[in-house]
Amino acid sequence: MQMNKVLLRKIARLCAGLLAAGALAVWAPPAAAQDASSVDASSTPPVGGDSGGGGFGGLFKDFDISFGGFLRLETAFSTGYENPNNERGDPYNGVSVHRVPGVPTPGIPLTAFVVPNPLLATDVVRPLAPSNNMFNYHTVRGELEAGIKINSNLNFIFRARALVEPGHYSDFNGASLTGTNEGGITGGDPALYGGAPNYFQYRVDGDKHPNPLEIAGPNYLLYFPVAILNYTNGPLNIRVGNQQIAWGQMIFFRIFDTPDGLDLRRHLVLGKATEEYSDSRVPAPAIRIGYQITDSILVDTFAEKFQPTMYPNPNTPYNVIPSQFTVHDRYFEGNYENKINYGMRLTADFGQYSAGLMYVRRYNPDGIFRWTKSNVNKDFPIVSSTGGVNTLGVVENTLALAALTNSGSRLAQTPVEVAPGGVYSADEWFHYAAQVRLNGIGALNSLINDFEPATGLLLADPVTTYSAAHNELDTFFTAAGDSLRGHIARDYFREDDIGLNFGYVTEAEPGSIFDQILVHLEASYTPNRTYTPIDLGQNPLRQHEWTVGLVAEKYQRFSEAFPATYMVFQALHKTKSDLFGRSLQGYGGTDTTAAPGVAGGANYFVLAGIQPFPASIYEAYAAILADPRGGVLAQPGLRWKPRGDITVEGFYTYINGHLGNPNRNALSTLDFADEFSLRLTYQF
Amino acid sequence: MRIKKYDFNYGRRALMEKAAKGVFATGVLTPLWPLIARGDNLAKAYPDELVSIEAYTKGKVKPGDAITADNVDVVKDLLDPIAYQQVKTMGRRIIIVPPTTDITKMFNHDFLEATLKNKGKSKFDATGNVVYEDGGPWRGGTPFPDPKDGKEALFNITLSWGRHDYSLYAIRDWDIQPSGDEAYHYDFVWAELNTTARADGQVFNGMKDMLRLQSVWFTSPQDTAGTSFLSQWYYDQRKFPELYGYLPAFKRVRQFPTNQRFEPLVPGITFFLSDAWSSGDPLLTWGNFKTIGRQPMLGAISQNWKGSLPNWERPRHGGGKGKTFLDTYMELIPECIVVEAEPVGYPRAPVSKKRVWIDVRNNMYVSSITYDRRGEVWKSFETGSGQFVDGNAVFKDTSGHPAWSWTHVLVHDIQSNRMSILAHVREVKGGYQTTFNMDGDVVNKFFTVQAMQRLGAA
Repeated sequence: MQMNKVLLRKIARLCAGLLAAGALAVWAPPAAAQDASSVDASSTPPVGGDSGGGGFGGLFKDFDISFGGFLRLETAFSTGYENPNNERGDPYNGVSVHRVPGVPTPGIPLTAFVVPNPLLATDVVRPLAPSNNMFNYHTVRGELEAGIKINSNLNFIFRARALVEPGHYSDFNGASLTGTNEGGITGGDPALYGGAPNYFQYRVDGDKHPNPLEIAGPNYLLYFPVAILNYTNGPLNIRVGNQQIAWGQMIFFRIFDTPDGLDLRRHLVLGKATEEYSDSRVPAPAIRIGYQITDSILVDTFAEKFQPTMYPNPNTPYNVIPSQFTVHDRYFEGNYENKINYGMRLTADFGQYSAGLMYVRRYNPDGIFRWTKSNVNKDFPIVSSTGGVNTLGVVENTLALAALTNSGSRLAQTPVEVAPGGVYSADEWFHYAAQVRLNGIGALNSLINDFEPATGLLLADPVTTYSAAHNELDTFFTAAGDSLRGHIARDYFREDDIGLNFGYVTEAEPGSIFDQILVHLEASYTPNRTYTPIDLGQNPLRQHEWTVGLVAEKYQRFSEAFPATYMVFQALHKTKSDLFGRSLQGYGGTDTTAAPGVAGGANYFVLAGIQPFPASIYEAYAAILADPRGGVLAQPGLRWKPRGDITVEGFYTYINGHLGNPNRNALSTLDFADEFSLRLTYQF
Repeated sequence: MRIKKYDFNYGRRALMEKAAKGVFATGVLTPLWPLIARGDNLAKAYPDELVSIEAYTKGKVKPGDAITADNVDVVKDLLDPIAYQQVKTMGRRIIIVPPTTDITKMFNHDFLEATLKNKGKSKFDATGNVVYEDGGPWRGGTPFPDPKDGKEALFNITLSWGRHDYSLYAIRDWDIQPSGDEAYHYDFVWAELNTTARADGQVFNGMKDMLRLQSVWFTSPQDTAGTSFLSQWYYDQRKFPELYGYLPAFKRVRQFPTNQRFEPLVPGITFFLSDAWSSGDPLLTWGNFKTIGRQPMLGAISQNWKGSLPNWERPRHGGGKGKTFLDTYMELIPECIVVEAEPVGYPRAPVSKKRVWIDVRNNMYVSSITYDRRGEVWKSFETGSGQFVDGNAVFKDTSGHPAWSWTHVLVHDIQSNRMSILAHVREVKGGYQTTFNMDGDVVNKFFTVQAMQRLGAA
């Protein structure tokens, strides 16, 4: 750790020094530009155009500043259904569910909650009003890019990106639940859980601004995806500053593309598929050093501050973590913000053949989730939501009083909080456990086992059967006056990614369909990769993982009038996790069965194509991503660029994740997000 | 004063006879290259009617006049068919200037020296490639100053496009819609580095199996900036260049098919990699070379570099909105060899053939026309060139002499009536300035995969 801090300080000093040098150069008074009508035009800078020239003799003879940017309106019209991960998209809203508590047998897990207690059965209706939004997304985006060429070896590149999300959705407001029986949502960051959705701020426990060079509010975001000093000297290239690093040849799947996490706060992964993650890679302060060893061999290294993947905040349109749970991101408290990722890639191109090696030592940016103490001291209510006596709540409070404490202080030591907007029934619990690829029984047991003695004092015991788990869950939801919110922590773990890739360009009859196919095979191996345990236990699941991808790309002319069609086929195999990094052990659950997991790894296939029209003024494209276990995503689209400064683009995203058991394929997670996206861009 | 020793049509008749008989020596009255070697007046090789536009048109057009729709029919035979249509129907105006008679103004210094030094030392090897007499790579200059056929004529262009061992061109592009509106505007940089066939006679960095490294990268507008392509040309002209590209959408350098050379590089542009220098592809990937004639021609080979204007940018005129054509200065070229070739190595190319008009004095093309697969005229690639001298303004090359280079290209898709204007300017956005000086390690700056990646971040 000490070494990392020293390295961080060194990086910071180097960045500061180089940035200061750049700033000095920027503020240096430019020499007056001269007209080229002097005797020797080859030694004088030009006049006119968008660029300025400047002086300081030889050192700054190439000085230049250029700007560019665009404004873009981005809208997605929903044709699907409400996001079930949001409070108002929960399918249990407005649905009456019969809850039957069980009989606790403290200290005897074998019999705990095996026997139901119909005398205390209740019917509950999740009290949030369903919403039906027309829009999934509507933002205004502006980007400004500046290139400052200090001399032929040194330049500063800067890109600012600003987004405004008016937030005119029919969405949830945490404050609306303050008068409920459970007393409002208490735990978690109020800026994320206590009010209206916070569309942009990435906040972690203990730090409201974990992203350097980012200014964000609930409805706006300003950050700098690129702010680097770029130094080139012969075969050496050094980039210092905030930057994104993209590796690999795969354009939809990420195998070599490991350095950066993803910023999923805006349009999740539902932007234009063929743009892949160019918009989403999380920038990080980094030093990147490239060295062209020979004309064919390039080594590329980096060391960067670890920045995690940013998931959408609760109750925002593309939220992927059910809002019944409060996340405690330990990026700051776990001291992960001082960690460094680093890696090296060696690529060699020999005409028809290419090869590459990669090694990255990084903190997996996706993070691992586990139960954590809620630290919310709020007693079980003694009155039920229907106005009667909450018998089970009275029992819990009485037991606590007998021990000279209160039930809230015991609950504070467990991962749950008596609060509205949580889980209201065992049915809802198992439904969501399966949906997020967890084991509903295992998650209950680890919640109890890992938080003893508090859970035992609340009469909870681990169980072995679905029915006992169901009874126990209903017991505590009833005791809570209807709803309990879960608290989960997000931690990060180091991993070593080792990669290898080969490329080959086919040769066949010129012009034939088999000629000039670009074939690339990429593979990576990660020993002891960590995954979220499917029971949300305290220790991450560790497994060795292979990720292998094959991509075949082809440009083929099918007509004289139209430019070549770009076609790509890709296949991805992952041995232990799905496309989103979730363990396959959590696959296959249903509302009535805990996840049995799936064997044989996960496979995904992509077919995509781009067809420019003559002069590329129109461009049609389509991408299909298939999960053979029953999911498909299809995205056809059309881009129209009538003028250099205007681009109109529309694409429809269709996702069907229920061609079989939805919890056996990755795409059901996004099933709700059928939508038509429209982008109107004006660039300047 | 010249003595009118020959009747009016003598020159044209002589050119036609030469073409018909397969006689390929350049010049009509006297062989051209001995004159060039002596530094003599080029006009001595041709009769008046091939040197003087006034004589050719019997006084109807003279230097200083403008060719417009009103008088273009007088010079119809001196223009390619698309240029003729541009003047006749689209309001294009061409200003006539006196003929160039000094060969040193038609070459850059070092390339002319190399041409003279190596004259007669080229040969074809067993693979059909041009080599030096010792079998090694060609050592600079045009290998065939007196081209015997279309293949030799095109080899003269292909082996050294820009005629400087290293060139970096700042290019400003405007793409004009059929209505005459300016729809797209790009700034980009085009860099060429010959590794062999260099005027200095050397093999660059030991890369004897390569001909050139060539890259192009866009610097503006914002959504296109960073789009870049690197072509690594083999010396063996049967081989396709390796092609790498950086597309901002992918944020990384990717390999492209080597035959991907007939596509617009960016939206709206009518220029393809294959069009470059009328010889954008390895020469032996084309075939069926034919010499279909010799003729005088109007060409933009002098006075088109306006170094006295800001950023060397010339005014525009014509078309629907007065923006379709650069002001262009043309002169009578006494003898052009007209060559055709077919893209035999590209079965799916949208082009069926190209026709190229090459000025035999410096063996540089003045215009090129491509035909679609139906045989219809499709695109012109009209190029201006000349010495970079404009009054007191002079732009010098590495030798300290006034540079010679291309000045503009008009790429006109006559079928869709879209025009791309490529102007060779002093500087484009991003601070890149035209130069022929190798300032530092240009290979690593502009011609490697890493360079594409770095330029892509612009």
